Amino acid sequence: MLSLYRPGSGWLNRVPAGPKMLLFIAGALGISLLPSQWWAGGVALGAAVLAYAAADLRDGALGLQVFAAQVWAVRWVILVTAVAQLIFVGLEPAFANTCRITAAIVFAGLLMLTTRVTHLLDALERGLRPFARVGLRPDRVALMLTVTLSTVTVLGRLARDIRDAQRARGARSSLRAFAVPFLVAALKHADDLGDALNARGVR
Amino acid sequence: MSIRLESVDVRVGETHALRDVSLELDARTVAVIGENGSGKSTFARLIGGLVPRTGGRVDVLGLDPGARSATADLRKRVALVFSNPDAQIIMPTVKEDVAFSLRADRLPSAVVATRVEDALARFGLTDLADRPSHDLSGGQKQLLALCGAFVRDPELVVADEPTAYLDARNARLITGHLLADTGHRLVLVTHDLELAQRCETAVLFADGKVASTGDPAKVVADYEAVLSC
Repeated sequence: MLSLYRPGSGWLNRVPAGPKMLLFIAGALGISLLPSQWWAGGVALGAAVLAYAAADLRDGALGLQVFAAQVWAVRWVILVTAVAQLIFVGLEPAFANTCRITAAIVFAGLLMLTTRVTHLLDALERGLRPFARVGLRPDRVALMLTVTLSTVTVLGRLARDIRDAQRARGARSSLRAFAVPFLVAALKHADDLGDALNARGVR
Repeated sequence: MSIRLESVDVRVGETHALRDVSLELDARTVAVIGENGSGKSTFARLIGGLVPRTGGRVDVLGLDPGARSATADLRKRVALVFSNPDAQIIMPTVKEDVAFSLRADRLPSAVVATRVEDALARFGLTDLADRPSHDLSGGQKQLLALCGAFVRDPELVVADEPTAYLDARNARLITGHLLADTGHRLVLVTHDLELAQRCETAVLFADGKVASTGDPAKVVADYEAVLSC
């Protein structure tokens, strides 16, 4: 799970959420438009490292400690992407694509690290307001994204609990033995979350 | 009368969860006890507007929780706290989660900030304001859930087994906040019979019906008699 908001007074923390979001969207788009070549992978990762270094994160290592933690948090995504790409498209595109995806994810992570979710929510609501004319509910869309973010952590914990329970009962690793209780627990959580949202005034 | 039920029926799927329940509750603190599946939680969810009735009449603080027109008012005046704090936490940090409870009210940000700070201080969460909500301990999460409920200044708090997952210290802390006389009424669903006796009145549910109601000591004694059969 990528780290969430990191309180601080660096310049990136102080940039308003709306313009910052646009900046990161542009960055991610730029990365996605790079070609699938060796140099592009380097450029994508280099840009991400530079962004962390320039973000004034004050980790005592020019943002690199935070950058490394972010990459480590998504190591399984990187691994799965790299292996799948290696199998289907070859070494050079696999390297470039994996670097681009990693860079895009850690870019998004930097946005989350330097912006309170409440501010993102407000900015997103404001940004989506023009679409209300065509029936879109900006508040709902913004809330859905926020709830998705917070749910990732909970689902991670549910998965860990289920694996621990299986180990405690001596069960071997099995996709079915994991998937069924995980699905049930996730659906139960969705029900509870719906009630909690309702109870807190979300209609 | 703060809560009134007249011949209320609730069916949840095939289950007849509440059967012909009639009750009038006006005490400041009400304990709701009974075995698992007896209808306690359905009662709590009914008065909290989360479960529709299939028959009868319900009045909570002068509102009908089943009426769509009353929903917004009900959410402002009635807060719910559940047993699983994980499911009640929406936002990634403590401060943002408390502020989320006020989002629907569209208050000025300065007012929100003041109310959130006051609520955090009241529940001893000020030092945790910027911590990720889901990294808190179970007790801290339930305190946060309570803080998120109380920041709205509700007239009625409906708590469904809020101490179920907590150790003795945290359970005591949570019940202290719930029972404190800060101008709210409380409906507390609990399996803790000692705690039930600290409330002003109690209701015993059995098989979806009210089996006993009134003085908590008497209601708990009635429950003990059932348990010993």
